[in-house]
Amino acid sequence: MKKIIALLLALVLVFSLAACAGDTAKDTTTDNNTTTDDAATTDDTTTDDAATDDAATDDTAAASDLNVGVFYYTYDDVYISSVRAALDEAWAAAGITYTNNDCKNDQATQNDLISTAVTNGCNLLVVNLVNSGSAEAAQKVVELAGDVPVVFFNRAVEGEGQEGTVLGAYENVCFIGTDAPEAGHLQGQMIGEYLLANYDTVDLNGDGVISYAMFKGQEGNAEAEYRTQFGVEDADAVLTEAGKPALEYFDANNTAKYQVDQSGAWSTQAALDYMSTNLSQFNEANGNMIELVICNNDGMAEGVVKALNAAGYNNADGGTTIPVFGVDATDSAKTLIADGKMTGTVKQDAEGMASAICSVVTSLGQGTAMADSVAAAAATDAEKFSVAEGVDTKLYVAYAPYTA
Amino acid sequence: MANPIKNLQRTAADYRQMDAKDRKRFWTDGILNNALYIIMAIFIIYTAFANENFLKIGSITNILSQVAAYLPIALGIGGCIVLTGTDLSAGRVVGLTAAISVALQQVGDRRILSFLPSYPGWAGILIALVAVIVVGGLIGLVNGFFVAKYKLHPFIVTLATQLITYGLIVIFFMTNGNNGQPLSGLSPEYNNFITGKLITFDKASLPMYVLYAVIFIIIMWFIWNKTTFGKNMFAVGSNAEAANVSGVNVFKTTMLVHTLAGVMYGLTGFIEGSRIGSITTSTGLNYECDAIAACVIGGVSFVGGTGKISGIVLGVFILRIIFVALTMLGIDPAMQNIIKGAIILIACSLDMRKYLVRK
Repeated sequence: MKKIIALLLALVLVFSLAACAGDTAKDTTTDNNTTTDDAATTDDTTTDDAATDDAATDDTAAASDLNVGVFYYTYDDVYISSVRAALDEAWAAAGITYTNNDCKNDQATQNDLISTAVTNGCNLLVVNLVNSGSAEAAQKVVELAGDVPVVFFNRAVEGEGQEGTVLGAYENVCFIGTDAPEAGHLQGQMIGEYLLANYDTVDLNGDGVISYAMFKGQEGNAEAEYRTQFGVEDADAVLTEAGKPALEYFDANNTAKYQVDQSGAWSTQAALDYMSTNLSQFNEANGNMIELVICNNDGMAEGVVKALNAAGYNNADGGTTIPVFGVDATDSAKTLIADGKMTGTVKQDAEGMASAICSVVTSLGQGTAMADSVAAAAATDAEKFSVAEGVDTKLYVAYAPYTA
Repeated sequence: MANPIKNLQRTAADYRQMDAKDRKRFWTDGILNNALYIIMAIFIIYTAFANENFLKIGSITNILSQVAAYLPIALGIGGCIVLTGTDLSAGRVVGLTAAISVALQQVGDRRILSFLPSYPGWAGILIALVAVIVVGGLIGLVNGFFVAKYKLHPFIVTLATQLITYGLIVIFFMTNGNNGQPLSGLSPEYNNFITGKLITFDKASLPMYVLYAVIFIIIMWFIWNKTTFGKNMFAVGSNAEAANVSGVNVFKTTMLVHTLAGVMYGLTGFIEGSRIGSITTSTGLNYECDAIAACVIGGVSFVGGTGKISGIVLGVFILRIIFVALTMLGIDPAMQNIIKGAIILIACSLDMRKYLVRK
């Protein structure tokens, strides 16, 4: 009996491994080993040399020598997941060998994964830094990489006042991402313009001042800080220029002027719980209804819409709609906007990000210098990409407002 | 059941016979044993004075709704704690079952399971309900099997299943071209079934899932107090060897407790699916922390063999009241964590104190 159970367990294990392998082969059309599951760590890169060479002859000769390690800060992030899907396709199309890693939102895990990958023969690192905006964390990563070039993407490597401490100090490093404050600026301008066009509709209690709620994704994250700051400041700038009063935070007791997901996960559920609590005391009956909601990302915006729905708002049934703004332009947020339940978001271009990364990596593989690779990638689409002023190894992927 | 008035009279009679020293101890013991309730009462009164909205009907329905949402998972995990164990996989199981429940009830052109035929909304509810119970129950069964069969500590077993479940969640979200995008676009029937209005007062209303939470409380109370399985669970929790000698099937009891817990996580996922409305891979993350904390605050002891359903309900209430009150008072987020941590620490210390005195 015991032996049978042991045998069955072993069989289950074998089958589950086989199932994973099958899945992987389906995901990538070339024969590079990719791992999409959680256990993607150290020992799972085996390169099928012959296959890579085949693929490489179709593309560039140098690509075959590349063994790229990609380090996503977490598999839990919706936007990063779309970058991951787009990048997986781009690698496969370019015939580049790569290994995906899930750093589980922990800088220590990321550092461990990177040093393991480097010892394992990885010759190019594509890193989505966990501690966004921390130059120290980025420097540590570059040191761990040694001679191996590092392409940072998405999450900022230099905070305010640290410009040049990473990108200027090392030769083999570049950054591809968005200009962190830009999303906040775009969101703020979009809100300001929307309010000017619809001021009296939005001002439910007619006191001439718009009261707003702000939902922050994570404490201490550079993107979250910028979005929280500029989402309001830029809207205020537009309003005051047109002679309207600045926005007012809905709860005078809250001096921070935002509510933050304490688990740092930018989660829908946190925004839902906060918003329903807010609505229980701030509503039209009390004459102090929240008239505008600004969120750091679309996930939180969806939670807010859900809470408003439960209170009888934003049902797209001709009743009152509270304008809700997010960032990311996820598919589900786009659906909400199309349904008239949400007002606007800022689009982060996942495909654009992936194509820029792949283009830089490909030219690096051909032996091109870092700055030239970045310039070449920027030249592929001047509308979408721009090289930062004064730093020739920093490539920006543009945001775009999305309202319909 | 003893008559509460007679009980009080007896306590009063005892009190009259005490000397000064005993009387002093009577009061300190009384205060210490009920310190948590006294602190909470002061806290609620303070909040109510500082913010008059706190005790208005809209706020109370909000607290009740949040309690109802976070209750089923705590009811499930309570059984594991009674067995001196724990369950770290709970949150991820909620995430997985919420994703499954939503995936089975999506409408429109963004269905992740687009290969399924379309079926009416009520059928979706039934299919999803069965699916979450089966999936949750299966993971619970796996937990229970390894705990009971190989005498592994539940901490390790459920840590492993937590990781496995998370892996499954990520794979599930990447399937069929979904690429990790949130799952949303639910059938109106599902939304009505979970978040539809149960009762409306004035401007506030209670959602349907409050009713389900009440049903879960009744069912779990019945299982814990009125069935042989419930009695066996407490027997195994107090002393597994003694229970074994007295003819209790420890293996079966342990398996069933974990399976039942898994089913409750599945039902939590079923409710969260519609309550949150947009499910991502991080849904359910750390839910077990709040659930375990709620049980411990409510007097379900890690020592094993003690705990009441009413205690769990109270624990969830206390945690949610803390959340709502601190939010309404506009207290700094960092302070909120400190206050929550302090309350858990006090609750556990008081709990152990009672136990040490009895010893």
